Amino acid sequence: MKKTWIGLALAGTLALAGCGGDKPADVAKTEAPAAAAGGGGTATPDEANGGTVTGKVAFAGEKPKMATLDMSANPVCERAHAGAPVKSEEVVVNANGTLKNAFVWVKSGLPADKTWAVPAGTTTLDQHGCMYQPRVIGLMTGQNFEIKTSDATNHNIHPQPQVNADWNESQSPGQAPLTKSFGRQEVMIPVKCNVHPWMRAYIGVVSNPFFAVTGDDGSFTIKGLPPGTYVIQTWHEKYGPMEQTVTVGAKESKTVDFSYKG
Amino acid sequence: MSDQEKDPVVHSSLSKPLMISSALLVLTLAWGLWDEMYGIRPWKGYQARFVKAYSRYLKTAAGGEAEVEKQIRASSEYRRLDGEMNVAEKAATPAASAIDKKINQELVPNILALNDPFQEVRSHIGSLTYQIEVSHSESSKESLRKEILGLRAEKHDVALPGEPQKRSMDFKAMSDQLQAWKDEKAKLLQQRVDLMKQATELRTQRDKYLSDRIAEASTSTIGAVQNSLDKFDIRIRQIHVKDVDLVDRCESCHLGTREPVAITKAAMGGEQVFSSHPNKELLKLHDPEKFGCTPCHGGNGAALSSVEKSHGYNKFWLWPLHHKENIEAGCQQCHAKEAVTEMADTLNAGREIFRLRGCMGCHRYEAFDREADEISSVNQQIRTLTQQKAEWKREAGFDEQKANSPKTSDDEAKRLLAHSNDLKVRASGIDAKIEQLDMRSRSLIREVKKIGPSLKEARVKLKKEWIPVWLKDPHQWRPGTKMPTFRLDDGEIRAISAFVWQSGVKADLPVQKQGDAARGQEAFETRGCMACHSMGEGTGKQGGTFSANLSREGEKANYDYLVRWVHNPRQRSAPYCTFEKKDLTAADYQAKGLPYVFDLEHSKCPNDGHELQVQQMTPMPSLRLTEDEARDIATYLMTRKHDNQTYAAADYMDDANLKNQGLALVRNYGCAGCHEISGLEEEQRIGTELTKEGSKPIERLDFALLGHKAEAEEWYTHKGFFEHKLENPAVYDTGKEKAKQDRLKMPNFNLSKPEIDAVTTFLTGSVDASVPARYFYNPTDARQDIIDGWWVIRKYNCMGCHKVHVGQSTTFDGMTKYQDPDWKDQRPPTLIGEGSRVNPEWLMRFLNNPALSETDTNRDGVRQYLKARMPTFSFSDGEIRKLVRFFEALSSQAQPFIPEKLEPLSETERTMARNLFTSEGAPCLKCHMTGDAKHDSKATAPNFTVARERLKPGWTKRWMLDPALMSPGTAMPSGLFRMENGHNVFTGPTPPSFNGYNKDHADLLVRYMFQFTPEELGRLRSSAGAK
Repeated sequence: MKKTWIGLALAGTLALAGCGGDKPADVAKTEAPAAAAGGGGTATPDEANGGTVTGKVAFAGEKPKMATLDMSANPVCERAHAGAPVKSEEVVVNANGTLKNAFVWVKSGLPADKTWAVPAGTTTLDQHGCMYQPRVIGLMTGQNFEIKTSDATNHNIHPQPQVNADWNESQSPGQAPLTKSFGRQEVMIPVKCNVHPWMRAYIGVVSNPFFAVTGDDGSFTIKGLPPGTYVIQTWHEKYGPMEQTVTVGAKESKTVDFSYKG
Repeated sequence: MSDQEKDPVVHSSLSKPLMISSALLVLTLAWGLWDEMYGIRPWKGYQARFVKAYSRYLKTAAGGEAEVEKQIRASSEYRRLDGEMNVAEKAATPAASAIDKKINQELVPNILALNDPFQEVRSHIGSLTYQIEVSHSESSKESLRKEILGLRAEKHDVALPGEPQKRSMDFKAMSDQLQAWKDEKAKLLQQRVDLMKQATELRTQRDKYLSDRIAEASTSTIGAVQNSLDKFDIRIRQIHVKDVDLVDRCESCHLGTREPVAITKAAMGGEQVFSSHPNKELLKLHDPEKFGCTPCHGGNGAALSSVEKSHGYNKFWLWPLHHKENIEAGCQQCHAKEAVTEMADTLNAGREIFRLRGCMGCHRYEAFDREADEISSVNQQIRTLTQQKAEWKREAGFDEQKANSPKTSDDEAKRLLAHSNDLKVRASGIDAKIEQLDMRSRSLIREVKKIGPSLKEARVKLKKEWIPVWLKDPHQWRPGTKMPTFRLDDGEIRAISAFVWQSGVKADLPVQKQGDAARGQEAFETRGCMACHSMGEGTGKQGGTFSANLSREGEKANYDYLVRWVHNPRQRSAPYCTFEKKDLTAADYQAKGLPYVFDLEHSKCPNDGHELQVQQMTPMPSLRLTEDEARDIATYLMTRKHDNQTYAAADYMDDANLKNQGLALVRNYGCAGCHEISGLEEEQRIGTELTKEGSKPIERLDFALLGHKAEAEEWYTHKGFFEHKLENPAVYDTGKEKAKQDRLKMPNFNLSKPEIDAVTTFLTGSVDASVPARYFYNPTDARQDIIDGWWVIRKYNCMGCHKVHVGQSTTFDGMTKYQDPDWKDQRPPTLIGEGSRVNPEWLMRFLNNPALSETDTNRDGVRQYLKARMPTFSFSDGEIRKLVRFFEALSSQAQPFIPEKLEPLSETERTMARNLFTSEGAPCLKCHMTGDAKHDSKATAPNFTVARERLKPGWTKRWMLDPALMSPGTAMPSGLFRMENGHNVFTGPTPPSFNGYNKDHADLLVRYMFQFTPEELGRLRSSAGAK
């Protein structure tokens, strides 16, 4: 320390301003920008002015034979079908040669800065005759859905997601419906019942409201898309995913057809 | 020109040199100052930068946090709690303020007013009492006592605030009055607390709601940190651990290490030096105030003058800072006894490679592969004890002889006989010790394993022509194999092949009929083989890495041998007698008139009665398959081969002259380190011991001709030495003129970069520790059981099938087949919490015999519905003990286990429980086995009627209430019970007998399961069948 003081005294007498630059670091002038204000509201699909993508999911080739489900382990399930044999719904080919239970969604192309409002209305997964109805449902991330039971036997609902949280809950006959949601996009989440191993459903969770499931006519409609170019993906539990790109303008409607081979 | 003009005094000026030298002086001074202030104190600069960057970051962080807090405060739940709190507070306020008023306006002023006169008298009395005590004359004592009485009786006029008149009070009246007021005050204060209790509780609830939802530091923490930054003073920050003379000043620059607000590199403008310690949990276990920094990280903790010096990166500092990829090297010095150290994955990987790739076959390393060492130590102990016993017996004999001599006096005879008896008793004690050691030896012979397959079996197992091809380059034939590539020339390969072939035992294997390859494939893929073995090549590879890839098994193996191997891999062609040091033949048994039978039940040598090695020294267990299933699997494996692969004939392998040449080479290369080889069973390790290799003086690491190059390229360090050696084990032969047999022998393991990093981490950490012994992780409690258990867990690859600790994944988790929802439930059970789940005595039985049956062995004892099955490992008693204690210790279970006593079950309760179990609304029996074959054919969960023997009641209840908490993803559903009036009630419809039952339903089921009888099983089955 002594050396420093002598140095300082000398420096004082010489009155030199040369030491000013010894400051160890540059002062960063720019303050970091304040955190961006929260997203601002959420958008809903503009069905009146937006673009529409419709199409159907066709099935080519020989219709696969579905196995008969063995429900003998649980007479309550058998009774619910009045003894009629129940076929697996893994592949359901409609009368018009289209595929039921294909999930269709907008995989990419939406504006990145937009957050979408969760669609109104309730999606329900029913357990009826020891089968899930419907077999395939679509949800938006954060959207609540209801799981109810119409059966006189105990079920458990066990989704097996890869990126969402895993859960497995019991539901007894007559128990109130469970309300659940998934927080992350995941196509698809298989759902099973450990008591009735043949029961299977699939849930597509998408971070936008543009998705659909093909029904008895194998068609789908996605409405209210902002003008743009999109990758539309279909997914089927046995035949996997398929993609096509489509461009729609405002109030424009485009058709995108898919075809799976058996 | 006059002389004057030339006069230097007049004409020459010194102003220029003066100017220059004063400028120089100033510059030197400036430099000196700068150097003094900052040049040799770079940490000052760091501290100034830290304060700026940190406070800038805190401002933004506070903004973000404030936003989050605002949102939480706006949430309905928070507002509800806040509202309730306000209501409660408001309701209590009038009464509380009345109390406050009474206390503050009445009691406190009165107490203060009375206190003064009271204290005056009291201190006066006190001083007089002291005088009595110190006074010597009785008369003065007496007079003082009188004086005190006078003081006590004297009346004082006291002015009290609330009263217009002065009160006249004596000492006692004042004292009583004061106490009465104080009591009243205390009573009122308690009343106030009670009044506000609800509001206070609600406030705590509300604040907890907020703090539970803020993951990062709250705004108040940030505020506190910001305040402390305002007062930040620039100084050396050091940790001084006095008793070990440790001075670590690392935090003079690494200022963010222990900050409460987590700091990242990005947050500090890209300056890594300021970021927080990445593992808070680790820091909690190793408090820097106690451990410092350098004992774990290396470096020169006291140095501050430059980054290089303080990190110890100069060649005179013996403990340089560990590089990032080897950071866990610091764990090894204190955790040297562990196979698995928590939170040190790289180090664990290094240890695993060291063990699994057979490094320990050539290099001794304390704690690794200790069974062989222990066997010789046990044998030595037995010899010493036997000797001791003989000596005592001899001495006892002498004593007796002497005692019986007529010359000996009676007293002396008595003493001698007593001494002789003592010696006999002690000698018999030695027998007990020897018995224990024999048992240990028996255990050890079971425990000792070899990394590679036994070469004694080569002749019966292998296709002859395949051997030289394999020796040439094992990694080319089977990428990723454990066998390293030796640098052999063709002559050496021929000689070694001939030796291996000719030294193999000759045995006639039964000729097996063909099995069904498709069934075999199914079994191979589902029975559990793939937890250790992989199948497929390149990107199509599936399965575990613990054992060989079997994609080309058909090219090398002999089918008949493969069937025996799959059926029971421990079966040998001939037993080995460790005492005689030879493989026994049928002739040895015949000579004693014994059948040629050797297995774990027949393990004594017919010649000398010593323990035989009756098993192959492989960790591969028996899956208790039927012979048909073994044939199916072997048939499938024989189909696994490359098309059109041909192998050149190798007749030279029968050349007897080559055998001796081969033997010398096999010795030279240390093959017996990993393989069991006839005649080389007791070979010593050929490599150098590595236990302290990381602290070997650098001059003793032989860089050979590469020393200068290493220095120039800055890898003249332990780390550099290891990395180059592991990458190319022949590297230090570069440029050397050496005969073939003198060259470096270490083979090439084809390690990847991460594998080299892992082994380097392990080796650089293997040091003669510089820290005192109290730092070593040497627990004497249950944690020691965990250390011991890990060695067994790793040895048998339990983690291929089971999750043993949180965050770990199994081979099954990675296999494509097991991603399907149906196959997911076919994965083996997780063992997290196993110690709290199962009864340790049951676990011991199960590990010994996983079929839980002596006769019906083609099954899994617990989960018969799983295609994969727990195999029989033929653990030694010692290993079973270690495993059981390991699981118990991991779950913090008390030792020894004492079963919990449960409240007895009434007959009504038994019926109720049975009704619930079998009711349609309860799912239990739909999945759980009952032991009834027809019912069990559809079951998917363990047999709960044997829960009584297998489980612990406390765990069973917790499991029923919320299984997902213990085992996320389990097939057992949650939500079976709901809380009602403080006890658990079954969620679904309950049988009518439950009406009015007000006890805990979960407890009832547990009590039912744990008081289950065979009769009850009958009742349960018939009740279930009626549905």
